[in-house]
Amino acid sequence: MTGLGLFGSLNMATRSLSTARAGTEIAGNNLANVNTPGYARQRVSIVTSNTVPSSLGPQGTGSMAVGISSLRDILVDSQLLGEFSIRGSLDSQQQSLQYIQSASGQQIDRQAQGATGAGSIDASGAQNGIAEDLANLFSSFQSVSNSKTTDLAERQVLMLKAQNLSTQFNQVGQRLDGVRTAIGNAITVDVTSANRLVDDIASLNAEIVKTEVGGNGRANDLRDIRQQRLEDLSKIANFTVSETPQGASNISIDGVPMITGAVVNNRLEAFDAGGGQILVRAQGTATTLNFQGGSIHGRIEARDGALVKMRGEIEALASNLITEVNGIHASGFGLTGATGNDFFLGTGAGDIRINPALKNDPRLIQASASAGAVGNNSVILRLAQLGDKPITSLLGQTFGGYYAQSIASMGQELNTLNTQIGNQDVVQNMLERQRDSVMGVSIDEEMTDLMKFQKAFSASAKMITTIDEMLDTIVNLKR
Amino acid sequence: MRVTSNTFPNRLIEQITRLTNRTNQYQTQAATGQRIALPEDDPAAMRRVLDMQGQTKKIAQYTRNIERHQELAQASYASMSASKKIVDRAGEIATLAGGINSPEQLKTLAVEVDQLVARAVQVANTKNRNDYLFGGTKSDTVPFVANKDAQGKTISVSYQGNTELAESEVAEQVTLSAQTLGANTTGSGNRGLYVDSQSGADIFSHLIALRDNLQSGNAAQIQSVDRGNIQKDEENFLFHYGTNGVTQSRLETSMSVAKQRLESLDQLVSRETDVDLAAVIVKLTETQNAYKAALQSGGTILNQSLLDYIR
Repeated sequence: MTGLGLFGSLNMATRSLSTARAGTEIAGNNLANVNTPGYARQRVSIVTSNTVPSSLGPQGTGSMAVGISSLRDILVDSQLLGEFSIRGSLDSQQQSLQYIQSASGQQIDRQAQGATGAGSIDASGAQNGIAEDLANLFSSFQSVSNSKTTDLAERQVLMLKAQNLSTQFNQVGQRLDGVRTAIGNAITVDVTSANRLVDDIASLNAEIVKTEVGGNGRANDLRDIRQQRLEDLSKIANFTVSETPQGASNISIDGVPMITGAVVNNRLEAFDAGGGQILVRAQGTATTLNFQGGSIHGRIEARDGALVKMRGEIEALASNLITEVNGIHASGFGLTGATGNDFFLGTGAGDIRINPALKNDPRLIQASASAGAVGNNSVILRLAQLGDKPITSLLGQTFGGYYAQSIASMGQELNTLNTQIGNQDVVQNMLERQRDSVMGVSIDEEMTDLMKFQKAFSASAKMITTIDEMLDTIVNLKR
Repeated sequence: MRVTSNTFPNRLIEQITRLTNRTNQYQTQAATGQRIALPEDDPAAMRRVLDMQGQTKKIAQYTRNIERHQELAQASYASMSASKKIVDRAGEIATLAGGINSPEQLKTLAVEVDQLVARAVQVANTKNRNDYLFGGTKSDTVPFVANKDAQGKTISVSYQGNTELAESEVAEQVTLSAQTLGANTTGSGNRGLYVDSQSGADIFSHLIALRDNLQSGNAAQIQSVDRGNIQKDEENFLFHYGTNGVTQSRLETSMSVAKQRLESLDQLVSRETDVDLAAVIVKLTETQNAYKAALQSGGTILNQSLLDYIR
């Protein structure tokens, strides 16, 4: 009979030794990478080696390790890229809106307000939003309308309240402009990170193609790293990715190719589209890229949506306040009979301020409708009633109502985002768990594998000693 | 589903993050007693609360306006009573003069009436917080000026004020004035307290005429003209008493309406913003228990692996 023969069996045992060793090595590698982010567990592929003909029929020659495969779920991987883009966009929108919310400085503090709306803390100025300052201004107009003329105290208070409101407008305006600049800077930083990632992915493409060419097996670790980079990039900008037969990932953003194989076709570039509106285009081109996801999209969305709206509304509020108050004030006369002084100076939220002449000499506040009668209060009464008057250019709302509406609509956007992020969390966590269940390393499994391969190794070694003994027996036959 | 070594820690982090977030929210609610503080918490409620707080401030201002009006009405009333006493005394003197024949006695009365004129001018020029009460809106000008002859005797009193009253709000679009006009000779509009052409009252010229008639011993003139004139002055005062009373009761009504509105607004704001403290604390305890349980179970599970059982 033919067959393996003793030497063949010795070879078979040697092969199974190395198969078992490969098994323990891979288990060891998996254990070493149990906490490595983005690492997909690897498995050694073991097959039976070729049979040899024997009188008994084809006879097995043991096993051999033919490759190392990495366990990845391509479907979940590509789905996660999309989810990361959405999450990146939502996160940066939420962050920007939170900045806007704090810039407005508007909040409710019931403990600072007494039951009559004139609690002691409130009265000493604990609350600091435009809403309170607006209400205070109109209250002060009321107080002056009701105060006696030679008593300047109420007039001084009025100028202080008007100054508080102006300062509040200036600060909110500045803060919102600051948020706009910060968003622009964040976009620039995002672009730099995206470009670095694009370069990384291109060079990883080159490495992977080089490693895998000629059927040398999959470059599992490099692919893990590339997947990580792709995920990082998707958090910044959404892109479409396609894998070439050679193993490279080609990437394009908004139809503009960024990477083809190992070549970087385009890089991103942040530019000022005018008035500090930072947008992104491919370097050296003139067309603005239209992002659908990722943090760049979120930042642009929050800036050109909620921020522009809020800033415009604050501006409209301030400029209408200036025109309306000055319009009524112009028709009046001060205690000295003087007329023609503006109450507010400036044109909008950025530069609204009280007329310093009125602050220095509150007698100049033009409360009276006739030059001779200082006790006449019909002008200041009209100013006091302005607080209840619907203003046509403020969508027919009162000053206070328009501001409250503006705050509420910004709050609504942030509230919606918070909910969306909550939902997104659920989806993303589910996908990540699903992915972890495929590619995550389990110490228990690896330890079992380790034991399994260790036993196989011992058994194969035992096989060698057995063959050795058999060879000894044969060699010693002739004595 | 396959559970890997990182499934537990990742899940534990997720759960703990969520629980600490909730603990933070409930703790903030318990500490502030508020369900909402920032616009994002409940935008619609935020809008309503901002509106209501604006209204609260406005109504609180109305209560201050009303207090100021009340002060003015009371000050005016005090001056009115003082002036009324002067007119009452003048009426008495006019009646008394009817029974006196001695010109000397009448002259003595004339001296008293002269003093009454001076006092009437003084009272009519009363100030409140440095403003003249009865000069209309020309509140920085002395309303009544006595014109005297060479002997220093008042021969007439002229009015320097105007016939306009300053009104201010006691509720939305409701304005009133607690001020009383000193004089109105136009025959229309608000009636004057001392001089009023509608009722024929003119306390100064009537007192001066009485004084002059007493001085000259013209008892018949006193009986036929002066007594009637002084009667008109008295009636005019009564009219103003009534008006002042109506104003004060209107102010009181406005004040109680304003206070009721403040209370109900506070309740409404409370309904929008305040938390049910008991419920929050129960929830907080629940969350804390869950947090402890998560930590404890996590600690137990993470400690264990196959490594504990193989050598």
